[in-house]
Amino acid sequence: MRPYQQKYIDNVREIAALTERLKPGELVFEEYAALLRERERQAAEKVKENLELLRRNLLPTVDHLFETTPEDLKDLEDFASQLRGNTETRDEGLFRLIHQALLSLARQRGDRNAMIRELYWLGMGYFDLSSKLVGLGLQHVAKYVSQMRLCFTEAAAYLKYFDEIDDTETRGYILRSRANMSLGLFRSPGEKISQVRETLRIMQDESYQSKEPDLPWDRYIYTVHQQMATSISYRKEKVMTPEDMASIMDSAYIVYQRRIQETSEKHETPPLRWAFPYYAIEYYCGIYDMDHLLGRVEMLLDAADPADRSPDGMYGILSLPAFYCQYLLQYPERIPGREAYIDSLFRRAMNYADSFASSKEDRIPLYIRHLSYMYLETSSGTPFGEFLQWMMLRFMPEVYLHSWMVGTAAKALCELILEEEPEFFDDIPEICALTDPQKKRRQVLDDAMQSGLLHDIGKVSVLELSTRTVRQWQEEEYEVTCLHTAAGHLLLSERASTERFAPVALGHHAWYDGSAYGYPATYKRLECPSRQMVDVVGLIDWIEAVTNSDCSHTGIVMTFDEAVEEAIALEGRQFSPLLTARLRDKQVTEKIRQAFKAGRREAYRQMYEQERERDDP
Amino acid sequence: MDAFENGRYRNMDLTQRVGELERENAELRRALEAAEEANQAKSRFLSNMSHDIRTPMNAIVGMTAIGLSHIDEKARVQDCLDKIRTASSHLMSLVNDVLDMSRIDSGRVVFSQEEFSLADLTHELAVIVRPQAVQKEQNLYFEIGQICEENLIGDPLHLRQILVNIINNAVKYTPAGGKIHVRFSQRPVREDGVVWLDFLCEDNGIGMSEDFLERIFEPFERVKSSTVDKIEGTGLGMSIVKSLVDGMGGQIHVKSQEGRGSEFTVELPMLACPRKQVRSLPEDAQVLVVERKNDRAAQICDCLWGGGLVPVRLEGGMEAVTYLTEANYEGYMPSALLLGQELTDMPPLEAAAYVRKLAGPDFPILLVSEGDWAQMEYRATRAGINAFVPCPLFGSRLLDTIDSLVENAGGNSGKAGSREGDYSAYRLLLVEDNELNLEIATELLSMTGIQVETAENGLEAVEKFAAAPEGHYDIILMDIQMPVMNGYEAVRKIRKMDRADAGSVWIVAMTANAFMEDVRLAKDAGMNEHLSKPVDLERLQDVLRRQLH
Repeated sequence: MRPYQQKYIDNVREIAALTERLKPGELVFEEYAALLRERERQAAEKVKENLELLRRNLLPTVDHLFETTPEDLKDLEDFASQLRGNTETRDEGLFRLIHQALLSLARQRGDRNAMIRELYWLGMGYFDLSSKLVGLGLQHVAKYVSQMRLCFTEAAAYLKYFDEIDDTETRGYILRSRANMSLGLFRSPGEKISQVRETLRIMQDESYQSKEPDLPWDRYIYTVHQQMATSISYRKEKVMTPEDMASIMDSAYIVYQRRIQETSEKHETPPLRWAFPYYAIEYYCGIYDMDHLLGRVEMLLDAADPADRSPDGMYGILSLPAFYCQYLLQYPERIPGREAYIDSLFRRAMNYADSFASSKEDRIPLYIRHLSYMYLETSSGTPFGEFLQWMMLRFMPEVYLHSWMVGTAAKALCELILEEEPEFFDDIPEICALTDPQKKRRQVLDDAMQSGLLHDIGKVSVLELSTRTVRQWQEEEYEVTCLHTAAGHLLLSERASTERFAPVALGHHAWYDGSAYGYPATYKRLECPSRQMVDVVGLIDWIEAVTNSDCSHTGIVMTFDEAVEEAIALEGRQFSPLLTARLRDKQVTEKIRQAFKAGRREAYRQMYEQERERDDP
Repeated sequence: MDAFENGRYRNMDLTQRVGELERENAELRRALEAAEEANQAKSRFLSNMSHDIRTPMNAIVGMTAIGLSHIDEKARVQDCLDKIRTASSHLMSLVNDVLDMSRIDSGRVVFSQEEFSLADLTHELAVIVRPQAVQKEQNLYFEIGQICEENLIGDPLHLRQILVNIINNAVKYTPAGGKIHVRFSQRPVREDGVVWLDFLCEDNGIGMSEDFLERIFEPFERVKSSTVDKIEGTGLGMSIVKSLVDGMGGQIHVKSQEGRGSEFTVELPMLACPRKQVRSLPEDAQVLVVERKNDRAAQICDCLWGGGLVPVRLEGGMEAVTYLTEANYEGYMPSALLLGQELTDMPPLEAAAYVRKLAGPDFPILLVSEGDWAQMEYRATRAGINAFVPCPLFGSRLLDTIDSLVENAGGNSGKAGSREGDYSAYRLLLVEDNELNLEIATELLSMTGIQVETAENGLEAVEKFAAAPEGHYDIILMDIQMPVMNGYEAVRKIRKMDRADAGSVWIVAMTANAFMEDVRLAKDAGMNEHLSKPVDLERLQDVLRRQLH
C-alpha cells in the first residue's frame, strides 16, 4: 500500500478508538466532559485529514485511472481490501468507489478476468450496504439489492465459459458470484429458493468440480445449503411448492447435522444459531404448528447463556428474542401470559449488550437494531422510548448527544412560543384537548424534548453511515442516509407510546415550502397535524447540525450566528416564517444557544453516569 | 280551404275541417310539449350549471379568503393556490363545454384535415384517462385490433375530444373495481384512400335505461340516479360527441342495459397517409424483450415477428444481464433491448442503467410502457434509455423506433443517445488535462454529434472562451484538478467576464472529487452541475438533453 493509504487506514482506526466508549476511571464529571469534547475534536481533525488524503492522492489516481501502472492498481486493490477487511478499518463507501473505478477500467480495457473480479467485489460492496440497512422494507433497499445482484449475475454469466477461463482464482469468483446471486431480500422466498436450487445444481455438478479440483467445493456447497436453509422469511410462505419444501428441509438437515457432528466431535452443544432455523423450517414446512415452534424457541432462549460471549451466545441472547417477538407480533393472541417472560428477555439483552466494553463490535449493534424493530411493549416492561434512548446512548453516542441538544433547544424555543401564543400547537389533537393551560404547556414542552430526542432514531437503520463515516459522504451515501427519516417513522409509529413522535422523525428534513430540496416526499406538511412541532425540531436540528464542527459529513460548518442568519434567509422556503420571525429576536437566539450548551452538558453527564454504573454496578 | 262556399255550409267540408284542426292542435300540443320539455331541460341545465358553476366558484372564493388570512405562510398560500387552480380548471372545462355546444349549434365548427399518428393519439388518450381509472381501481384495457395504416389524415383534436369524452364517461359511470375495454381497429384501406376507424368502448358500469338511451344525445341530458348526482358533468358531453361524429361523417351507436353496462361504438372515415418506410434492419435480426407479463410480452413479440424480426423473450433483469453478457462475449449481441413495463426482479430503469454500462453506449435500449413519458423522461434518459415506445402498442411505431436507433448505432452517425435528434448544431468546450481522459470523453461525446473543442487546462479554457464570439459555446465540461489553472478558478474568471454569455453558459464540473463538499464548491465557483468521474455516457447525455433541447 502507498503511505497515504496506510495513513488513511491508521486514521480510521484512531477515529474508531476516539469515538469508543470512554471509561471515567478516576475522572470527575468536568474532566470527563472536557476529555469527551477533546476526543470529539481530535476525531473531527482526523476526518478532515482523511478527506485531504483522498483529495491529494486517491482522487487524482481515479481521475487518471486509465494511465495507472499495474503497481498502482495492485496498491488500490490492497487498499480496498483493507477498507473492507475488519471491523476497525471499515470504509465500505470508499471500497465501492475504488471497485467501481477498477471495474470501469477493466471494461475499458476489455480485461475479462479483471472484470469478473471487480464485479464480484463491487457486488460484495453493495451486499454490505444493503445488508446494513436494518428494518427498512424492500422498497427502500431494492435499489442497492438490485445493484448487488446485477454485479453477481454478470460475473456468474461467465460460467458458460468455464472451460475457456484457465485461471483458478477467476473461476472461483464466478462460482462465488453465482452463489451470491441469491443474497439479500427477494420479492418472494420462491424466487430465492429457485435461485439457490440452481446454484446447488451447478456446485454439485461433477463436470465443473473435475475441471477445477483445487477449489473448495465442499465449502461452496455447504454455504449454498446455508442459503437454502435461511431462504424463507418469517411469514409463512403460501406459494411454496412441495419441491421447495423438500429442498429447504434437505438443506436444513445437512446444515444442522453437520453442526451437530462438528460440535459433538468437540464435545460441545449444538449451536443455537442453527438449531433455531431448523425448528423454524419444520414449522414453515407444515410439520409442526406455531405453538410448538414457540415452545421450542423458548427452550432455546432458556438455554442461552448470558455469560457466553461467543457469536452463538450473542445470537441466543440478542437475536433469538427478536425472532421470538416477531412471531408474537404476528400472532398477538399468543402474547397474554408471556408478558413477564418477554420483559425478562429484553432486560437480559440490554444487560448483555452493556457488558461488552466496545460499542464498535459489529454484531451487537446489528442484533440490537433487529431487536428494536421487533420490540414488544408490555405494561410492565421498559417503555419503548426508554429502550430507544438506551440504544442511542449505548451504540450511537454521537446521535444521542446531538438529539439531546436538539430536544433541549426545541423545548426552549417552544417555551418562548407558548408565552406569546399558547394555542400555537393546537393543531395537534392531543394538545388541543387539554383545557388546563399549565397541563397544555407541560405536555408541549415534554413533547418537544421527546421529539428532539427521538427525531434521528431512524439513523439506527443506517448506523454505519450516519455515525461511522470517517470522511465526508459521497452522493450515494448521502442518499442512503436520507432513509433515516422513513426508518425512524416506521420504528416510532408502530408502538403506542412513541407514535406521536413519528411525524417529527419523518418530516424534520422536509422543507416548509414542500420543495424537493427537502425529504422525504412522503411527508405532507399541510396534512400533518403535528407540523408546527416538526417545524420546530427541523429548524433546531438544522442549526445544531451546521454549527457542529465535529459533524463534518456534509462539509457545511457555520458559526451559530451565521446559521441563524442563514435560517432567516431561508424563511418561507426551508423554514416556517412563524419560527424564523422569532429568530430575529436576540433574546430568543441567545436562549437557543444556551439550550444547546445545556443539552450537551446533560448528554455528557448521562454518558458519565452510565459508564460509572457499568464500572460499579 | 274555405268551409263556406256559396254561402252554404257543407257537411263534408266541415268534417274535414274539424279533422284538420284536430291534427293541427295535436301538432301544436306536441310542439308545445317539446318546447316545454326543451325548456325544462334548459331549466335543469341552468339549475345544474348554476350548481356546477357555484361549487368551484365557492371553492375559489373560500380558498382565496383562507389564503389572504394566511398570507405570511407561504406553504399554506401555495396550498390554497393549488386548490384554486384545480377549481378554476374545472370551471374552465364547464365553460368550454357550453361554448363548444354553442359553436356546434351555430355550425361554426371547422373540421381540420391534418396528418396525425394513431399511435400517438391512443397513447395520449391512455395517459389522459388512465390516472382516473387507476384511482378507482378499474381495469382499463386498451386493445389494438387490425390496423392497416397508423398515419392518417383527419381532425385529431376533435377525434381526441370524442374519444376522451366516451372513455371518461365509462370511467365516471363504472364503479370502483369495474372493467372498461377500449378497442381500436380499422377496415382495409379503400382504393380512394379512405380507411374507416372503428372504436369501441365497453364497460360494466351502471348502464342506462331504454328511455334514456333514446335521449342520450340530446343536450343537457344526464342519467338520473343517486350515484350519478354525485358525478360532475354538464350533460353536454354526449351531445357534443354526437355532433362531432356527425360533422366528421361518421356514426355513433350505443347499447346499454341498466345495471349491466354500456357499449359505445364509433365509426369514422379517415384518409390513409402511408409513409414510405424503408427499414434498414435485416430480416431475422434478434431483439431482446424483457417483460414479466405474458400478454404484454406476447403483444411486443407479435409486432416484432410481424416486422420480420426475431424476439427473444425474458422476464427479468438478471436474466437479461446473463443473456447480454454471454452475447457480448460471443459477439452476437441482439439488435436492441426492449424493456417492458414490469420485470420479475427489479424496476426496468434499474436494469437499463446496468445494461447501459455492460453493453456500452451504442446499444439501443427502448422502454415500452403505458406510463406518461413526460413524467419519466428525466429518470429514463439518465438510466440510459434511448427511446420510448408508447402503449397501446402499434407495430410500425415499434419497428420504426428500433430501426432508427439501430441505424444510428450501426451507422456511427452519432445520435445513439440523442433520441430527440441531432446535437451537431451545438458546440461544447471540453476542459481536461489528462490526454487519455480527453480522448475517451471526446469519443463518448462524438456519439452525440455535438461539436467538441478542447482545452488542456483552466487558463486555456478561459482564453478560448474569451476569444470566441458570444454564444459560441453552448456547454462547458470542466475538469477540476488541472495544472496551470484549476477548474474552480477558470469558472470564476469566465463568470466574471463582461459579455452576455458569461453568466449563462452552462458549465458542468467533471471530476473524481465526489464528496458533498466538492459538489457544493463547484456550485459556489459558478458551475451549474457536477458529474463524478469516471463519467459515463448516460450522464453526459442527460446533461445534453436537458440543456440543449
